[in-house]
Amino acid sequence: MSVDLEKILRPIPAEMAPYEPKYMLLASGEAAVVRAVDRDEIPDLLKHVEPLLHVERDYYDVVAARVYAELLSHYQYRFQDQYVLAVQVDGELAAIVNGRQVTPNLGLSLHTLALRRGLRIGAHAFAAKMEYHFDQLGHDEVLIVAESPIGFRRWMIEYKLEKRFETPHELGGVPSWALTRELFDAARSSLVVGRRPVPPEILEKAKEAILPPSDPPTPALDPLSATRSKYDPTATALMVERWAMEGGMQDA
Amino acid sequence: MRDVYVAGIGITTFTRLEFALSEIASYASMMALKDAGITEVDQVYVANMGAPRVNHQTALASAVVDSLSLTPAGAAAIENGPASGGSAIKAGFQAVASGMDDVVLVVGVERMREVNGLEATDFIATLTHPIAEYIYGVTLPAHAAMFTRLYMDKYGVTERHLAMVGVKNQNAALNNEWAHLQQEISLEGILDSPEAMTNNPYVAEPLRFFDACPVSDGGAAIILVSEEKAKELGRPMIKISGVGQATDTHAVHEREEPTDLLAVRKAAADAFEMAGLTPDDVDVAELHDAFTILEIAESEEVGFFPKGEGHLALERGDTALGGKIPINVGGGLKGRGHPVGATGVAQAWEIVTQLRGDGGDRQVEDASVGFTCNFGGFGNNVVCLTFEKEA
Amino acid sequence: MAREIYAYKCRLCDTMHYPFRMVCKNCKQNDFFEFDTVPLPRDGKLLTFTRVYNLPPQYEVPTLGLGIVELENGMRMLGQLDIDEPKAGMAVKGSVEVVREETYDDFYGMVFRSA
Ligand SMILES: CC(C)(COP(=O)(O)OP(=O)(O)OC[C@H]1O[C@@H](n2cnc3c(N)ncnc32)[C@H](O)[C@@H]1OP(=O)(O)O)[C@@H](O)C(=O)NCCC(=O)NCCS
Ligand SMILES: [Zn+2]
Repeated sequence: MSVDLEKILRPIPAEMAPYEPKYMLLASGEAAVVRAVDRDEIPDLLKHVEPLLHVERDYYDVVAARVYAELLSHYQYRFQDQYVLAVQVDGELAAIVNGRQVTPNLGLSLHTLALRRGLRIGAHAFAAKMEYHFDQLGHDEVLIVAESPIGFRRWMIEYKLEKRFETPHELGGVPSWALTRELFDAARSSLVVGRRPVPPEILEKAKEAILPPSDPPTPALDPLSATRSKYDPTATALMVERWAMEGGMQDA
Repeated sequence: MRDVYVAGIGITTFTRLEFALSEIASYASMMALKDAGITEVDQVYVANMGAPRVNHQTALASAVVDSLSLTPAGAAAIENGPASGGSAIKAGFQAVASGMDDVVLVVGVERMREVNGLEATDFIATLTHPIAEYIYGVTLPAHAAMFTRLYMDKYGVTERHLAMVGVKNQNAALNNEWAHLQQEISLEGILDSPEAMTNNPYVAEPLRFFDACPVSDGGAAIILVSEEKAKELGRPMIKISGVGQATDTHAVHEREEPTDLLAVRKAAADAFEMAGLTPDDVDVAELHDAFTILEIAESEEVGFFPKGEGHLALERGDTALGGKIPINVGGGLKGRGHPVGATGVAQAWEIVTQLRGDGGDRQVEDASVGFTCNFGGFGNNVVCLTFEKEA
Repeated sequence: MAREIYAYKCRLCDTMHYPFRMVCKNCKQNDFFEFDTVPLPRDGKLLTFTRVYNLPPQYEVPTLGLGIVELENGMRMLGQLDIDEPKAGMAVKGSVEVVREETYDDFYGMVFRSA
């Protein structure tokens, strides 16, 4: 019977302590809430991740594609022990981070996706998930990879991560880096912020609805233009394509 | 010498632009040509710093002049570090003033987001002294940071003053649709809240993230013409009345008084003298705030305020829109962004916009005299210009 | 052989220069190679300093200390700092070490420590 088969296909979740929400003031002076996203809120996230599949800069496309797959399989019960945190500013979705518990001592960082740029929201979100791994899940170590140079600067350099190149990471086997408890404690004072408890009205506002990001990263005018400009420095192909696409010259 | 006028201006958004370098230059140029109502020029100067190194392209001017179908006009690229833009305007000015050319297109362009931020930092750092500075890992933020510390000790400038410049300029950019940063920041968020030191981490102590300009792509263009041509075109008569350029030691440590920016002082004084103006005549200014401290220091060196009192003027609000001498009302490098080769031209673009009265929400009332300071190297090559509106 | 960083002394007017330049700043003599090399002193006092967090990609360290030092002969130079808590005016002592590694080259420069 299909019901039984579904039982076999579904992972058996491990016990994981719930994430305790926090909030912080951003450089703009606005308050951002970090909170765990329930399974039934996942579709609300997916619709804001999908457009980023087409943003070919800072590896938004790669990261969004992977996050989309991870969230979807989490929603459909096809992912073992994944958690998802969201950052919201005034209800608006500003960042998504996810990860999973590999063993009760080992955590694995999946992705960090910032939907609002320029306020280090991604950095705050990443710090929140590391805090979750160490302080709430009690992991000794978290395995991490970077897809983008900005990610590399934010995680590998700012946290001074250790190399774990002999350990393949679940995200395509790329060289792993590790944040140990010791490194995390050293980074705590400078990189981890947040206040608890979250004032009820702020938390309520966040839980009420995940509002669309007001200024998400958008694709360049030309699909694949970043890649193309490398082998077509005169940009002839690019211009021809744009004119065909838009039926005329774009206002600079 | 003939008088020289700005008959057209154009600019691209400053941000990450995924177009070929020559295309970015062309967009800005086409807008300027359209603005002036012309399709032919005698000479093209392209200001750019990084094409050979960052974009793997040399002889950029030949690419640009042809792409714009301006051939057979003369064309040359001018590389003079972050002062490339000002230097190209000076070259264009000389061409028209001498009587050799009647119409010159000056376009500044940079595409430095083609590489990642670390490589961009290294690319800019190559302007430092190769043996006495670069090999040590010195970057421009490092130079600015060491300069800031001296300034703090000597004149009482604090991190709050720096943050105030950052907030003023980044928020001013919200009134400039072409500016890179469109994100408001607050003193609370970057200085006073418990999260501030994480929101605004050190880049080079004591300078923080929001003390520095972002790394941007972009292009800006202006058309310089003779008086006769300007009258014929019928655009507002904006005259470049003063041009000053000066240099200082390549290695920063060789300067006798390390808190002085002598090249700024001299370039500004020369520009004012040529124009027959004084700093008090200026209604609106664009200073080179690649780092917040530079706006303060330059505002003193060019003569707006006595040495060591720039931060006091800032406190009084003298440099804000509506103040005594509004500085960087379009966001400056901090808010507009700093595509290095384009910056000097973008400053002129902003001033001409202001003198034409097209500033919209950021318009300085009754602006008729404008000033720009384009600061190359760490103050070792500086171009200052004065602009005047003629009735 | 001990490595040195050299100042350049004009043979005509004795003016010292660092770094090297082709023409004397003071008397503007412009004959070729009219300078004598003089090792820079190692002792000095720290004039200003910084710690840099955004480094060029060649650097494997997360941050780097840099400073400008006034040497005991009155000349100034920039160097790397190996000092935990630098203070303006503190006494420092330099030593010539590798300050930058590129694929095929090592570059030597002055590294200052507290004296
Ligand atoms: C990596 C990531 C999470 C970092 O997010 P973050 O910490 O919030 O970073 P920010 O958005 O604050 O930093 C970049 C922005 O800061 C702003 N900025 C840069 N320099 C600035 C300055 N000097 N002053 C003010 N603002 C500045 C710019 O707006 C810049 O955006 P731009 O590149 O579009 O110009 C985010 O870039 C992201 O989601 N990237 C795509 C996915 C990814 O790479 N994930 C990580 C995989 S390991
Ligand atoms: Zn001499």
